[in-house]
Amino acid sequence: MSLSLSLDFQYTTSIEKAWSALTDSSKLAKWITENDFKPVVGHRFQFRHQPSEYWDGIVDGEVLIVEAPNRLSYSWATGDERHTVTWTLQDLGDGKVNLHLEQTGFSNAHGLEGAKYGWREWFGKFEKVLE
Amino acid sequence: MSENNQLRDVFAAIADPTRRRLIRLLAETEELPLHELTSQFPMGRTAVSKHLTILKEAGLVLDRRVGRETRFRLNASPLREIQDWVDFYRKFWSMNMLRLNQLLEEEEEE
Repeated sequence: MSLSLSLDFQYTTSIEKAWSALTDSSKLAKWITENDFKPVVGHRFQFRHQPSEYWDGIVDGEVLIVEAPNRLSYSWATGDERHTVTWTLQDLGDGKVNLHLEQTGFSNAHGLEGAKYGWREWFGKFEKVLE
Repeated sequence: MSENNQLRDVFAAIADPTRRRLIRLLAETEELPLHELTSQFPMGRTAVSKHLTILKEAGLVLDRRVGRETRFRLNASPLREIQDWVDFYRKFWSMNMLRLNQLLEEEEEE
């Protein structure tokens, strides 16, 4: 029983394009949020979401692993939660790429309260964007 | 913070590797007495018993007396709270990955 999130997504693209979408700041801004990310080990960055009454919207991170175009890892901290996000890219051939996401280090209930009461609003905004 | 009056936060209860191992052992079987659980760990009966008490307070373990021994069983339902917490992130990433798909499709068209 370890607290981690593991997800896989397949895309029709090249591994280079997928890598670029994961590491290029202006592309990250289009699918995650405004940021100052750089694929350089040791680089500290922020993902800045819309703040809400319950959450300042800031995710602080530090780049841990950069192995283009296959592996990328960074820390992911917000509030009392400190996680590690690791991306593994795999070329499936036929123009398909598998993106594997692993988020580990989930801990305590303070974050849970935040998630339950505050971040719900944040998701509401995301869902509107996707409509 | 929970509906069934837990004395202890389930997140704190599973933060310890010994307690996660206890949960795993109890998940694999119906019911186990303390001495059988203790034999699985490089620590004494008292230490294992303390961990079981913490799991009990979180509602994850139930116990009953049978003659001279106490038997323990798993009650997994409080783990649901953790599931919900992790689901929050699942939802976050799933939505973002949809947007990533849009981004990649736009790039293909260019």
